[in-house]
Amino acid sequence: MRNIQVALAVARKDLRSEWRTREMVPALAQFIVLALVIANFGFAIDSRNVSSITPGVLWFALVFAGLVAFGRTFAAEREQSSLEAMLMTSASPVAIFAGKALAATALLVVCEAVMLPALALLFGAAVSAQVVFAVLLATVGMAALGCMFAALVARVRAREVLLPLLTLPLWIPFIVAGGQAVQSAMGLPGSYDQAMGLLLDLDILFVVLTSLGARFVLDE
Amino acid sequence: MSVVVANGLTHRFGSELALDSVDLVLDEGEHLAVLGDNGAGKTTLLRIIATALRPTAGSLLIAGRDALRERRRLRRYIGYLGHAPGLYPALSALENLEFFCDLSGVGREEAHDALEVVGLAASGRRTAAELSRGMQQRLALARAILHKPRLLVLDEPDASLGADVADLLGAVMKDRTVVMSTHDHALANRLCPRTLVLRHGRSTGTATRLRVVR
Repeated sequence: MRNIQVALAVARKDLRSEWRTREMVPALAQFIVLALVIANFGFAIDSRNVSSITPGVLWFALVFAGLVAFGRTFAAEREQSSLEAMLMTSASPVAIFAGKALAATALLVVCEAVMLPALALLFGAAVSAQVVFAVLLATVGMAALGCMFAALVARVRAREVLLPLLTLPLWIPFIVAGGQAVQSAMGLPGSYDQAMGLLLDLDILFVVLTSLGARFVLDE
Repeated sequence: MSVVVANGLTHRFGSELALDSVDLVLDEGEHLAVLGDNGAGKTTLLRIIATALRPTAGSLLIAGRDALRERRRLRRYIGYLGHAPGLYPALSALENLEFFCDLSGVGREEAHDALEVVGLAASGRRTAAELSRGMQQRLALARAILHKPRLLVLDEPDASLGADVADLLGAVMKDRTVVMSTHDHALANRLCPRTLVLRHGRSTGTATRLRVVR
C-alpha cells in the first residue's frame, strides 16, 4: 500500500512539474506533428496504401518521441541532484521507479492524443478504438523499458547516444506486435487479437523484469 | 549507546584512494565536525555514514545495525544534507517538503513544522526556483529533518547560509547525533565538541575543541 502511495506521489510530482514548466509535452507534440507532416510529403499516400504506410509512420514517430520523453525522466533528477534525495528516504526504489515510469507514460499518452487525430487528419487513416488500445497497450511496456534504461544511463555523460542503443533493440517486439495490431485494425490481413495478446504478454514480462531490476539500477 | 561505529572505512574511486581506513565511534547526542582541505575525503566519509555510498572496505554500524546490509531500514533514522540542495524548482517550498513527507511516510503537517524551524514559514508558497541560494539551503536542511532523524549528516551545511548560521544549525542539531563537515573552524568549534581532521583520506586523529588560530 505504501509503495503505491510513493509511486503516486512521484508521478504526481513529475506531472505537476511538467504542467508548470511545460518543458516536454509541447516540444514532443510539435515533434510528432512535424514528423507526420514530413511523412505526409515523403510518401505518396493515397486511399490504397494508407493502411500499410500509416502504422509504420505511427510507430516511427512514437518511438522517437518516447526516447526523448523517457531520456529526460531521470536525467533531470540527476542534474538537480534530487534523485539522491529521493533515494535517501525510506521509500522503495521500485516504487520510485514505478512513479517515474507512470509519469513518463502519462506524458507519452498526451503526445499520442495529439498524434492519433493528426494521423487521421493528415493521412485520412481510420483511427478506431482498436488502434487506440493497441497504442496504449504498447506504451506500457515501452515506458517500463525506456525508464529502466533511462535510469541506467542517467549518470553517464553519453546518455543521449546510449539510451537509443540500449532501448531500441528491446522495443522491436513492441513495434512488430503493435504494428501488426494497428495494421489489422486498419483493415489489412492479420489477427488483431493475437497481436494484442502478444503485446499484453510483452507488457507483463517487461514490467515484471524492470520492477525487479529497478532496485539494482537505482540503489547505488 | 554508540550511534555510529565505523571500522576501517576505505573507499576508492577507480585507482584513487579517497578514504583510507578511517575509524570512528560516535555516541548518542554527540556532535562531530569533520575538517580537512578540499579532496581530503570529507564528503566521501559523510556519504558513507549517510548510507548514500558503499565503502570499498570496512564496516559500519548505525544504531547497532549493519549499515551496509540494512541501508533502507536505517534511512528512517538518518537525515542527510548533501552538497547540492536537490530540490524541484517548479514546486513551492511547501510542496517540495510535502513530497518528501509522502516518500518518508510521515504526515504532511511535518512540512510546516520543518519550514518553521529553518525560518522559511513565510516563504512556503514560493517556488524553489524563486528562493535565493541560502533559502534553498535552508529548505534542503528542512527536508533533512522532516522525518525527525536521530542521526544527522550534514555536508558543509553552512554553505550560502546567512549570518545566523550557527543559531540555525544549533536549533536543528539539538538532541540529535550529528556528523557535519565544514571549512569554518570557528563554526565547528562552536557547534561540535569533537572534531575529526582528514588529510588525503586518512584521519589525523580526533580532538575535543579546536584552538582557533587567527
